[in-house]
Amino acid sequence: MRIYVTGYGVISSIGENVEETLLALKSEKTGIKQGRKPYTERFKVGEISWTNQELIERFGLTQNASRTALLGMIAAKEAFGEHELSSEVRTGLISGTSVGGMDVSEIAYKDYLKDESDDLNVYKNHSSGTTSEQIAQELGIRGYINTISTACSSAANSIMLGARMLLSGQLDRVVVGGTDGLSQFTIAGFRSLMIFDEEWCRPFDETRKGINLGEGAAFLVLETEETMRKTGKKPLAVLSGWANASDAYHQTASSPEGYGATLAMKSALKVAGLNPADIDYINAHGTATPNNDLSESHGIKTVFGSSVPPFSSTKSYTGHTLAASGGIEAVFAILALNKGILLPNLNFSQAIEETGLIPVKNYSEGHTIKHILSNSFGFGGNNSSIILSAV
Amino acid sequence: MYFIQHIESITHQDSFQKENIWDELKPLTAENQLISPDYKNYIPVAALRRLSTILRMGITASKACQEKVPNEFDSISVGTALGCLTDTEKFLVTINTVSGDVLSPTAFIQSTHNTISGQISLDLKNHAYNMTHTQNALSFEVALKDGLLCIDEGKKSVLVGAADEAIPFLERLRGSLILTHLPFTSGATFAVLSGEKGNSIAFVQACEVYFSTKSQETLVTLINQFLDANNCSSGDLDLILEARSDFRFLAKNHISFTDYTGFYQSASAFALHMANDWLIGNTDDKRILIVNNLESNKLGLTLINRNEVEA
Repeated sequence: MRIYVTGYGVISSIGENVEETLLALKSEKTGIKQGRKPYTERFKVGEISWTNQELIERFGLTQNASRTALLGMIAAKEAFGEHELSSEVRTGLISGTSVGGMDVSEIAYKDYLKDESDDLNVYKNHSSGTTSEQIAQELGIRGYINTISTACSSAANSIMLGARMLLSGQLDRVVVGGTDGLSQFTIAGFRSLMIFDEEWCRPFDETRKGINLGEGAAFLVLETEETMRKTGKKPLAVLSGWANASDAYHQTASSPEGYGATLAMKSALKVAGLNPADIDYINAHGTATPNNDLSESHGIKTVFGSSVPPFSSTKSYTGHTLAASGGIEAVFAILALNKGILLPNLNFSQAIEETGLIPVKNYSEGHTIKHILSNSFGFGGNNSSIILSAV
Repeated sequence: MYFIQHIESITHQDSFQKENIWDELKPLTAENQLISPDYKNYIPVAALRRLSTILRMGITASKACQEKVPNEFDSISVGTALGCLTDTEKFLVTINTVSGDVLSPTAFIQSTHNTISGQISLDLKNHAYNMTHTQNALSFEVALKDGLLCIDEGKKSVLVGAADEAIPFLERLRGSLILTHLPFTSGATFAVLSGEKGNSIAFVQACEVYFSTKSQETLVTLINQFLDANNCSSGDLDLILEARSDFRFLAKNHISFTDYTGFYQSASAFALHMANDWLIGNTDDKRILIVNNLESNKLGLTLINRNEVEA
């Protein structure tokens, strides 16, 4: 049984819908710039310019919630688009998030520390699970709702779980993806880890220093063939492979040889019934930390040997959007499949000495692209790969 | 069928490494503290110092499970409603009180929900599927459903569990955001499930989750539909373990599991332990339903059955 993608939606610093996103990718225009919030103004971040209140008004949202939930609602609404709810199509929602409603609860908590004048009502938006329930409510979905929280691989894992729920017959259709709003908590956290680049991030470059953080959300609608007969929807892509594996090396660092990454990529190929040579493009995790990019490069070389397909990290466009990244990059992959695009790895100039791997440097169209591998790796050694294929 | 091979809990009850937890269970009072095992037996002392309660409980319960089963887990699925609250709060305090640019990253690293499952994989050197689910009061059920799905997909030895920890801050939300008279507590329960019977005495027949539930009437309908789909009716239930006490009338025995767990949102995981061990001690009983209606807008149902006696 094949799993089809029949809808997609995305919001990030490079665009607030799929169309704008494609234009930005085409013009090689990064969304990363000097931040505007008190806690981002010293850094380069992939920030969405609207405030929470502006997001609610601009996108006609019905709930006041955390930034994570609001961004999720916007992308999920675009993805669900003209899809209709019906009792005959059991529809679920699985969203990934790392910090849930932290962007609002950290403000309340600051008031609490000052003089206990915090608005307790704010904390109702805190839990990660609540962000998904709010997104589901915005779409009117009342069936199975779940939240995956595996740090930066959350959205990829949500996509994977959605496919498995469809295959097992527990759902007919599922909205899957991830969302994370920027918060002082995550900015301070990644800075404390010393993997934060104050300049523009340079994935897979010898001189890379670390990540730029970003925010955003992206969702896909997945359906089985049988469901598509009922809904009449046209497929945008096939979700053909997925896998998750544990690196079991370190809580935040990847193993030098990329063991978990290798396992995830190989297992995803196996699920898809594909050989490494079938992959036409890899959208790498490529956070631009010294550790990830080296480890991922080794993993890619282990899986693909001497014929590594074109690859790039698009985090140089969006910044690292954490739990949303696997969803956003899945949308990029679907665009690449349908338009024959190779997406560039901005800010690259010098290959990593140890691996010599050179990513795609410029945007180009007209390629025959049938299968794309997309990697997402998270803290806790949580490594996931998904494969999107042309219909 | 999903056979319960082994199950371990660390809670405010004396529940760790017991033949039958019912030998020790008593309704909780606010004075009952978490009963911590000697974590040093499972976690090196140097590492122990930096680990919060939720991580200590999760790692220890999982390792105690791994010791009791012959095979390495080929899937790890963990539920947590609020995750690593101690480290989250610690890092929030740090970023608001420590000036300068150099902050200690430990609390941040350990604040992520999947620190629990990640740390389990690290400590067991386990490279398998590793998932963390968080869905408020249904966090355990969605993690369990993932584990059951893994068995359907052919996985042999599946670890499922849930953990949550209480922090004093939660008291501030009592009565406004959290409506309960129960004491805030911490707990972790981990179980090994398998498609093979092994030495188990009971199996999980099915688990289902429902959202946007409204009236008690709807809940009764959902319960009956669930039982019907699993070829039984409320008359076949020997015990209901319920988060509240709304469904006393549905079965001959009824226990509110929260009387024993206190309030943490993944406490229904401990109800699975209570169900399994109830069947050890009550040899005539066969079928137990866990009704997780801890939060009023959602419902989790888990059906536990005694294994058939082979002729």
